[in-house]
Amino acid sequence: MDQNMRRISKRLVGPLALGSAAAMVLSGCGGNVAAGGGGGEEDFPTKEVSITVGAAAGGSTDLIARALADGASSDLGQALPVINKPGANGTLAAKEVQSAKPDGYNLATLNASLITITPLAVGEDEAVSIDDFEVITGVSQDDYVMVANPDAGVKTVDDIKNSDEKLSFGTAGVGTGSQLAQSLLLAQIDTDFKEVPFDSGAPAVTAALGNQVNISTVQLGEAKPHIDAGKLVPIMVFSEERNKFLEDVPTATEEGYDIPVSQYRAVVAPKDTPDAVIERLDKSFKATFETDAYKEFNEKNLLTPTEVSGDEIATEWADLADRYKKLIDEYDIDLSD
Amino acid sequence: MDMFVPVLQGFGTVLEPGNLLYCFIGVLVGMLIGVLPGLGPAATMAILLPMTFGIEPVTAIIMLAGIFYGAQYGGTITSVLLRLPGEASAVVTVFDGFQMAKQGRAGAALGVAAIGSFIGGTASILGLTFLAPLIAGFALDFGPPEYAALALLGVTLVATISSGNKLKALIAASIGVFLAMVGRDVFTGTERFTFDNLSLSDGIDFVTVAMGLFGLGEILYNLEERHKAMAAPKKVKNVWPTRGDLKQSAPAIGRGSVLGFLLGILPGGGATISSLAAYGVEKKVAKDPSRFGKGAIEGVAGPESANNAAATSSFIPLLSLGIPANATMALMFGALLIQGITPGPLLVTEEPELFWGVVNSMYIGNILLLIMAIPLIGVFVKILSVRPAILAPITVLITLIGAYTIKNSVFDVGLVVLFGVIGYLMKKAGFEPGPLVLAFVLAELLESSVRRSLILFEGDLGGVFTRPITLTLLVVFLVVILLPIIRKVLGRSKTKSQEKELVS
Repeated sequence: MDQNMRRISKRLVGPLALGSAAAMVLSGCGGNVAAGGGGGEEDFPTKEVSITVGAAAGGSTDLIARALADGASSDLGQALPVINKPGANGTLAAKEVQSAKPDGYNLATLNASLITITPLAVGEDEAVSIDDFEVITGVSQDDYVMVANPDAGVKTVDDIKNSDEKLSFGTAGVGTGSQLAQSLLLAQIDTDFKEVPFDSGAPAVTAALGNQVNISTVQLGEAKPHIDAGKLVPIMVFSEERNKFLEDVPTATEEGYDIPVSQYRAVVAPKDTPDAVIERLDKSFKATFETDAYKEFNEKNLLTPTEVSGDEIATEWADLADRYKKLIDEYDIDLSD
Repeated sequence: MDMFVPVLQGFGTVLEPGNLLYCFIGVLVGMLIGVLPGLGPAATMAILLPMTFGIEPVTAIIMLAGIFYGAQYGGTITSVLLRLPGEASAVVTVFDGFQMAKQGRAGAALGVAAIGSFIGGTASILGLTFLAPLIAGFALDFGPPEYAALALLGVTLVATISSGNKLKALIAASIGVFLAMVGRDVFTGTERFTFDNLSLSDGIDFVTVAMGLFGLGEILYNLEERHKAMAAPKKVKNVWPTRGDLKQSAPAIGRGSVLGFLLGILPGGGATISSLAAYGVEKKVAKDPSRFGKGAIEGVAGPESANNAAATSSFIPLLSLGIPANATMALMFGALLIQGITPGPLLVTEEPELFWGVVNSMYIGNILLLIMAIPLIGVFVKILSVRPAILAPITVLITLIGAYTIKNSVFDVGLVVLFGVIGYLMKKAGFEPGPLVLAFVLAELLESSVRRSLILFEGDLGGVFTRPITLTLLVVFLVVILLPIIRKVLGRSKTKSQEKELVS
């Protein structure tokens, strides 16, 4: 009996132990184990470098982090585990990395909207500032596109302006670029509308496909297959220049509206990370940008590279935050309404 | 007949040895992952995604689909044996499945669940093969008002699932609704009951609530019970479902499969509502509803068939419309994109080999799942003969690791412990966690759908009269609510008149 029991528990523990060991590795528990207390900057990195993502596994932010980690690990000679820590639009992840040890072993991917748009919709205490980070490099931008159901009977901004019907507009949620871009446009053309926030971009696309809402503004990757299939009509993109994946679609700027909204992404480290370490990391990410695999990844995910220096990102994002603040004041827009 | 040429070619693709191997690996990994609550199929796929870069698109998708199936069944194992539902759609399996396990019929429960999953899944794939283009549009007809009506109908089922005191069930459900309020309001960004804690701003995760109330609560309660009477390790009787079990569950499997197939097509909440609805239906049609909650095999067979059928039919919006119905489907979408394939209306015509390869891999995946699950039942049920002193700590460990992996957050681990204590106290006071958890899930859907509908109707409730599906669902809702009352009133007047006759 006793022996039988032991055999059973051994059999039992086998898969369980395997499962928990896998979970440990997968969740990157090893990331915070102090391996030799830093050491010299010259031989950086001596252990794995974690990249924290403020979104769940599988979203575009996560996929970008994984593609970067994949490329940089061969240049750095260390693994770069991606740690997903979703919550509060990515604020949780950002705050965690912000207060991590500034030794270059704790990085994060940051979405510009967290710095530039989220603070417009939520309280000050929750806001994250770009000044609390060392920006390693810019990564890419994901443009917003406004799409309409073919049955809604609108193909251009002028159609929206002149529509007799009170049109309904879906967004990806409060404090997103989707909401800001669309609200700015609607305020500037001064028309009557119904705004329906969804939990994310995907349900906003689905709602537009079924004409549950007439129009939605979402990230390009979410709408592109439906545009190609003729199930959604692209009205405009909100990038400053035409998007190379949608050459025929006008930008808001071309149509005469001041709406410079895109989703920019960058890789950051905590403030006061040594320059040499930042340079080393920057070099490995730049090397990744040059690989064919990464270029292909960008193409397939419809991402436009914005691989500019960290300093440029810091000033650009700070400027954007100011600009958005002025715009919503000017047009008297309340994102939390 | 031309239509079937690509279908048959698809089978050819799937039956290549390499693809079969990946399908097998997928199902195996999925089952192991499913046993660990928290780390669901979506996270697993995300982690394994880079592995798929180097292999053929069809092979990659076949493996991912295998993970998806395996994880569904893995979740059933923990629901039945340890009372740990890893996903919202597995909650109702706990009610009768765990009771069956307590009575030594865990093998029967797992066996019927495996068979039901197989039949539900396969029926759904047949539906997918022949009806996908026809019914895909159904998903698009569901806007906010339809979801609101559907969620309302789901709430009435919450009353059905409780087997004890109705008032206590109502109280528990209200607490569930309250818990669903926690977090940032998605319409205005206002914080609700978060006490300025950022970890609460996205609300409370379903898994933390379910694992705490069901899993930890049960363990705590059992530990106390053990002090009162030293229970001998339970004897595990008949590992296989008997002929009688199968006969009893066959109609439930059939009904569950159909319900699951239809509701699974709806993106967002379809799978959960389908398992809930299947349970409600089984209890309604049963000759003796009081058996439910005490180990009725139909209570396992119906919902398990339904959630697997729903899992399969959730591929329909992805493959034919390019709409990912849930987080897992969103990952499939991502995996296809990385392979340079865009899922959408054009997929069947542009990539017939891939389309049918994926669909046919589901048949194979289902068969593999059955082949692997049935022999392993004997191994799994032995878990129950492990002494609680050994099993309880291991279960707690799995639960807490699972809670951590959801968001890599220690805060969530604390929440599970908190809900564990609440679950223990509820059980002591005679409250069931079931109504609480289901109300929690449905309240979120109900609130956001109602508010979106009101925006669309511009505050005018008369708008529902312009929506036939909503109207139909609301009529069903009224019937479900009013029928028992009418019956009661009629019954009473009948007995009264009978009494009068007797008196005169």
